[in-house]
Amino acid sequence: MSPITDTEKQNDTLLQYKSIKKAILFCMIFVPLIPFIVSMAIGYYYFATSLEHSVTSNMEKIVYDHRQMIELFFKERISDLEFIQDSYTLNQLSHPEKLKQVFLNLVKRSSAFSDLGIFNEDGIHVAYCGTYTLTGKVYKKADWFQQAMQKKSFISDIFLGYRQAPHFVIAVALNSTNPKWVIRASIDTQTFDSLVEQVRIGRTGEAYIVNSEGILQTNRRSGGMLMEVLDETIRFPSHDEEILTFISHDSTGKEFMYATTWLEGNKWLLVVRQPKDDAFQPLRRAAYLIFGVSILGGFVIIGIAFYTTHRIIARMKKKDIEKDQLVKQLIGTSRMAELGEMAAGFAHEINNPLQIIKNEQSLIQIIVSELKEAGILKRSKNLDELNDSLDQIQLQISRCSQITQSILKFSRLNEPVLTHVDIRKIISEVSGMMDNKAHVNGIDLRYDISPNTPSVYGDPTQLQQVLLNLYNNAMDAVIERHGKSGGELSIKMNKRNNGWVEISIRDNGIGIKKENMEKLFTPFFTTKPVGKGTGLGLSVCYGIIKSMGGKLDAVSQEGVGTTFIVQLPASTGKKLVN
Amino acid sequence: MGEASKELKLLIVDDEERFLSTTEKLLSRKGYEALIAQSGSEALEILEQHMIHVVILDVNMPKMDGIETLKKIKQRFPLVEVIMLTGHATVESAVNGIKYGAMDYLMKPTDIEILIQKAEEAFEKTHRDKKNI
Repeated sequence: MSPITDTEKQNDTLLQYKSIKKAILFCMIFVPLIPFIVSMAIGYYYFATSLEHSVTSNMEKIVYDHRQMIELFFKERISDLEFIQDSYTLNQLSHPEKLKQVFLNLVKRSSAFSDLGIFNEDGIHVAYCGTYTLTGKVYKKADWFQQAMQKKSFISDIFLGYRQAPHFVIAVALNSTNPKWVIRASIDTQTFDSLVEQVRIGRTGEAYIVNSEGILQTNRRSGGMLMEVLDETIRFPSHDEEILTFISHDSTGKEFMYATTWLEGNKWLLVVRQPKDDAFQPLRRAAYLIFGVSILGGFVIIGIAFYTTHRIIARMKKKDIEKDQLVKQLIGTSRMAELGEMAAGFAHEINNPLQIIKNEQSLIQIIVSELKEAGILKRSKNLDELNDSLDQIQLQISRCSQITQSILKFSRLNEPVLTHVDIRKIISEVSGMMDNKAHVNGIDLRYDISPNTPSVYGDPTQLQQVLLNLYNNAMDAVIERHGKSGGELSIKMNKRNNGWVEISIRDNGIGIKKENMEKLFTPFFTTKPVGKGTGLGLSVCYGIIKSMGGKLDAVSQEGVGTTFIVQLPASTGKKLVN
Repeated sequence: MGEASKELKLLIVDDEERFLSTTEKLLSRKGYEALIAQSGSEALEILEQHMIHVVILDVNMPKMDGIETLKKIKQRFPLVEVIMLTGHATVESAVNGIKYGAMDYLMKPTDIEILIQKAEEAFEKTHRDKKNI
């Protein structure tokens, strides 16, 4: 693979991860978020509707109750006056003394009365009991007098009148008297106000009365005095009994909930109002709560989505990397097998000429020694050199033959003889062989062999070969770094959780360069000087362990040491057929 | 070149001519009489005409290969001992040879001394076999 296609492939997979990530994130965020928000919104809507309904009905109820109360108040006051008119004659009450006595009795019944006056049918104020001097004044043209004469009883708007103080009057003129006369009482506006003003809804809800021209008939707690004109637009109910609820705003733009109803035959309007934000305070609180929960929930959902997506992608990446490694390993293994075959053929081709060279060399050696014996060749420097050269040829032939032998071993044509092997035995055998070398080079051999290590299924001779090879390599690495003292070599064996046997051989030698790790098990790869190593040792070990269904790995850090790890499947106890 | 002083008579079979001639020379210097054959069929002819104790037989030969030759030798000359010689990775075919009656096998390149040693062992066996008969 060229580096260009490699980067392209990487970019491709990166893009792929990105789009997968987007898709997962989208699903994980929006799928839960949409129903979550919708349910919050529905909750809010229903709560708002029901709250509005309850606020409205509450106000309607207050208005209704108040109307009843106020109308009862008027009815009682009127019946008070009617009682007086029934009980006394005009003449009797024309005496101020008598009138005062009656007035005092009247005040006992209701403190709302502030004065009392008697008028004859011509509207002349015959007698008066109160704080003003009104006796003798003529009221024939006064609206209240005419209305009272016509309708039997009359309640006026608030007006200033002769006394120039805001008040309203109740006048009664019964038909049963002849001639008709009128009894009139002023109602103390403060008493009446308190009757209306005591209404209180929430923190700022209030009640007040206006007449049909929109002039205040009571004080308003939130501002607005008697007889002032309202600063707000109010809707009037179309008929007597109706209670009208609506939302409006005052001159400052503040919104109010209103409930209005007519009192006393469309004369006065009872208004109950509450600022909207006060009335809907629970809704606002709920809204804040819902908003808070939504934000929090949203963050939690998004957080979980990101976390989960991150984990999924990370796992996918890991799997992909593992897959790539596996593919690389497979390629490596198949290459190794090809190489093995090639090497075997090569070994064969070399062995035949090698045999001939060997025989020729033997022949020369025999001839030379014969010539020497026959005295034809004299001892000389040349003869010595010739002998030395012949020895060297012999040495090099055996070196070649060692190489070809190793190659043949590597190509695994020596079929292993498989039996149940107790590795502990092999380790102790190998250790016996290596003890001397370790001792001479001051290497501390340490063993940590788990006693319950199961046996494995393999070729004991080959396993021995592998371990010898690994020991030797480790010792060479240790000697190269530490010389004759300070070397350590620890051999550890135990049973792994997956039932395999793991043997690790750890040294504190020179370690393996990072760039060499890949080529570690490649045939003919060696870092030893020419003639010292064939570069086949580890590849043979690798082949052997592989043929037993095991694994051979190495972990190394340059200048710290190397660990070779042999893993072999434990034998099941039955003899397997290979 | 000394005369053949040893009782043991060998036949070397290999397709490499130079190997044959040099080995013959070496053996004769060691006091052994050796005949040579460059193919399986030639070997069988020689066995017909000469008294041979031990055959050194290369596994890899063109036409009739070592194993085939071995089978024929064992069939027609059961008292002749055969030692397989292989330069090939096919140790298994050499071992296979033992199954068909070869006495031993040698890996190329082999030392002449080892070859003689194995041949002598085989020769002793032929003696034992003869006695048993």
